[in-house]
Amino acid sequence: MSGDVILSTIGVTKRFGRFFALRDVTVAFNRGSLTSIIGPNGAGKSTYFNLLSGALSPTTGKIFFEGRDIAALPQHTFAHLGIAKSSQITSVFPELSTVENVRIAAQARRVRYNFWTPRARYIELIDKAQALLEVVGIAHRGDLPARALAHGEQRALEIAMALASEPRLLLLDEPTAGMSPVETRTMMDLIAGLAAKRTVILVEHKMKLVMGISQRLVVLHHGEIVAEGTPDEIRGNDTVRRIYLGGRKF
Amino acid sequence: MTLAPDVLALQLLTGLALGALYALLAIGLSLIFGMLTVVNFAHGAFFMVGAYVGFFLYGLTGSFWASLVGAPLAVGAVGLVVERFLVRPLYGRGLDYPLLLTFGLAYVLVEIVRILFGKQGLPFDTPEALSGAVDVWVGYFPLYRLFVIGAAAAATLAVWLFIDKTSYGLIIRAGARDPVIVRILGIDIARVWLAIFGIGAALAGFAGVLAAPLQGVAPEMGDTVLAEAFVVTVIGGMGSLLGAVVAGLLVGVTISMTSLFAPEMARVCVFALMALVLLVRPQGMFGRAGLLS
Amino acid sequence: MRPLSLALTAQRARDGTDALTRRRVLIAALFLGVFPWLMPYKALAINVLIYGLYAVGFNLLYGYLGMLSFGHAAFFGTGAYGCGIVVARWGKPWFLAIPAGVFSAAVVALAIGYLAIRTRGIYFAMVTLALAQCVYYVFFQAESLTGGENGLRGVNVRSISLPGVSLNLLRPTTKYYFILFFVVVALWIVSRILASPFGAVIEAIREREARARACGYNVAAFKLITFVVSGALCGLAGALNAIHLSTVPIESLVYETSGLAVIMSLLGGTGTFFGPFVGAAAFLLIQDLTALWTEHWQLIAGAVYMIFVLFFPRGIWGSVLEWLYR
Repeated sequence: MSGDVILSTIGVTKRFGRFFALRDVTVAFNRGSLTSIIGPNGAGKSTYFNLLSGALSPTTGKIFFEGRDIAALPQHTFAHLGIAKSSQITSVFPELSTVENVRIAAQARRVRYNFWTPRARYIELIDKAQALLEVVGIAHRGDLPARALAHGEQRALEIAMALASEPRLLLLDEPTAGMSPVETRTMMDLIAGLAAKRTVILVEHKMKLVMGISQRLVVLHHGEIVAEGTPDEIRGNDTVRRIYLGGRKF
Repeated sequence: MTLAPDVLALQLLTGLALGALYALLAIGLSLIFGMLTVVNFAHGAFFMVGAYVGFFLYGLTGSFWASLVGAPLAVGAVGLVVERFLVRPLYGRGLDYPLLLTFGLAYVLVEIVRILFGKQGLPFDTPEALSGAVDVWVGYFPLYRLFVIGAAAAATLAVWLFIDKTSYGLIIRAGARDPVIVRILGIDIARVWLAIFGIGAALAGFAGVLAAPLQGVAPEMGDTVLAEAFVVTVIGGMGSLLGAVVAGLLVGVTISMTSLFAPEMARVCVFALMALVLLVRPQGMFGRAGLLS
Repeated sequence: MRPLSLALTAQRARDGTDALTRRRVLIAALFLGVFPWLMPYKALAINVLIYGLYAVGFNLLYGYLGMLSFGHAAFFGTGAYGCGIVVARWGKPWFLAIPAGVFSAAVVALAIGYLAIRTRGIYFAMVTLALAQCVYYVFFQAESLTGGENGLRGVNVRSISLPGVSLNLLRPTTKYYFILFFVVVALWIVSRILASPFGAVIEAIREREARARACGYNVAAFKLITFVVSGALCGLAGALNAIHLSTVPIESLVYETSGLAVIMSLLGGTGTFFGPFVGAAAFLLIQDLTALWTEHWQLIAGAVYMIFVLFFPRGIWGSVLEWLYR
C-alpha cells in the first residue's frame, strides 16, 4: 500500500436551510485502502456519500479526487472520473434484463451518443457485463428482468453496475441493508475481494460487520467527525463507545 | 403613447377580474393535485360544463342566482362521480394514468355538450341587477366585473377557512402530507379524496358560470382556459393555494396590461412569464422543490 | 406490472435477437405497401400513414423515454406551416419545402424542449401543453405569413419530376406511395435509433433517471436530443400533411391535435414499434365508421380511448404481443 491520497475532503459543510447535515468534515483516503464510515442514524453518512458521488454539492469546502477539485462538477461526470457508487436504496433498471443493466453501465465509458450502430455490435460490452455478473455471483440470472431478482441479488447487480465503469474509487452505501445473514456473509466476502484491487469506502451502521474488513474507520456524529483510526483504536475510543453504543462494550 | 393613470387603474381592475377566475381554476387544480397527485386535464371541461349548466338554469329559472348556486353543485356532483368510478381504479398505476383518463373525459364532455346545446357558442346576458357601471373613484367600471372579483374572493376565502380552520381541513392537510398516517388514524382517506375532487370540480364550475356573462358559452371554451390554468399553476407552484391566487392575479393583470399596449402580444406574454419562471425557479413561485421528482 | 414473459420479449426486441424486430422496417414497408387495398378509400390510407408517423414520433418520447408531452401539435403544425410557407409563399419546390418543415419543427422543439425538460412527470405534460398553446398564438397572429384563422391555402404540389419519371400527385395512389417513401425512411431511422446505444440509454432513463445519471449519462442532454428528434419526426408528418391537403388549417396547432398523438399511441400501445401505427389506423377507422351515422364521432372515440386507459393500458398491439408471447 502506498501512502498516496486518492480522495480528500477539506472543510466540507453541507447545510439544508438552517440544518447542518455536515460540518467542517476533513478526511483523506489512501489509494488502495478500505475505509468504513460509521455512525448512528442521522449522523450525516448518506449526505457525505452523496457529496462524494456528486448527487449533492457541498455548501462550502473542497473535495479533491486525484488532485482535482470535483465539488462543483455535475453528477454524471463522476462515473467518467473513476468514482462509482451503489446506493442505499436499490436502484436498478427494473424492466431491463439483468445483463442489460450492467451493459448499459459499461456502455457509458465506451459509447454514448451513437444513434446508428446496433448495440449488439458492441460484443465486448456484452461480454464484460456477463463477466461482471460472474464476479458478483448472479450470472445465471442474466436474462431475467432486474425486478424479478431477489433483494440480495439486486444489491449484487448494483455492485456489478458500479464496477462496470471501472472505478478507481468504489463507494458502497450500506450494501447489506435488508439482507439475510447468509446474503450478508456472501456480500462481505465479495466486498473484501473487491477491495484488494481498488479503493473502497463503505458506509455501514452495523459496526460489527465492518470491523473485520476495514483498515480504517471514520466515525460521524451529528455531522461532525468524532473519531478516526484503525478498528482497534476505534474499539478503544471512549467517545465512540458513549455516543454510538450508549456505553456498551463491543 | 401616454396613458392617463385612471385608464391604467381601470385596466388593472379588469385584469384582477380575469385573474380572479384564473385563481379559482388554479385553486381547484392545486387542491386536487396536492391531495391526490392527479393533474385534472378535465378541469377546462368542468369550467365549460359549469358555464353551460349556468346557461341552462338561467334560461329555466330566469334567476342568475340560481345558476350561480346550481352550476358549482352540478359540476361538483360530476366531479364526485368521475373520481369514484373513473379516477379511483387508476390509483397506484402511475401518475400518468389519471391524467390520460381525465384528458379523454374532457374530449367526451365537450362532445356531450355539443349534442345537448349545439356546436355554436351562445350568448349569455349579464343579469339585470349586475349590469351597468359604477363609479370606482378613478372612473366608471362594469359592475359585473366587480362582482366577479368579489365572488371569487369569497369562494377563495371559504376554501381557505375550510382547509385552515375546520377539522375536515385538518384531515385534508394531514392527508396531503402523508396518506398512510391518516389511514392509520382510522380515517377513510378515499372519502377525503372523493370530497376534494368534488370541491375542485365545483370551483371550476363556479369559475365557468362567473365567466359566462363575460364571454358567452361555447363547447371549446375550456381548451384555452385549461392551458392558461396550467400556466398559472406552473408560475404559482403546484400544490400551493397561495401560489394559485398570486399567480392567477398576476397572469390576469399581465394580460390586461399588455392588451393595452400590444393586444396581439397579450396571450404570448403570459407564456413568456411562465418560461421565465421555469428558467429561474422551476418549482414555481411558491412551490416546493422536488415535489414532482 | 407487466408479465415476466412480456418483459423477456421486450428485452429480445431491445437486443435485436428476435426475427420480428430485425425485420420490423421491412415488415412495415411490405404491409403498408398493400395497405391502401385494405382500406375503404385511399385518402383514409394516406391519413393513417401521416398520423401513424405523427404517433411514432410522439411514442419515441413517451413510450421509450417516458416523457408525456401534450404539446406535440406544435411540431406537427410547425412542420406543416414550414413546408407550406416555402411552397405557397415563396414558390420553392417540394424537395426544399419538406426539409424546411422538418427543420423548423426541430428548431421549435429545441426551444420548447429546452424549457420543458427542466420539469418532470406530470409537470412536463402541463408545460408542453402551455408552450404549444403559445406556438398556436404566434402562428395565429402572424397572419401575413400563415393566413391566421383561415389557415394557409395554396400549398400545391401537383406533380413531382424525378429523373426519368414524373409523379402525378393528383392521383391518390401515387400520392400514397410518395408519402410512404418518407414514412418508411423515418421508420428506418427510428428503428436504428432504438437499437443503438443511444436507444438503450433513453430506455434506461425511463426506467430510473437517477441511476442513468449515476452511470455517467448526461440525462438532460439525452432528453433534449430525443425531444428534438421526436419533434422533427412529427414535423415531417405535418409537412407531408400540408402536401396531402394542399392547405394548412390552423387546427394543426390546437390542443386537440396534441391529444390525437396521445390517443393514437395509447390505443395502439406505447413503447412498442408498431403500436402507434395500429393506434392511428384504429382511431381513424373509428372516426370514419362512426361518422357514417353520427356527427358526434368524438364521443365514441373518446369513450373507446377511456376504456383502453382503464382496462387495456397496453393498447391493441401491446395486448396482441402479450397474447402471442404469454
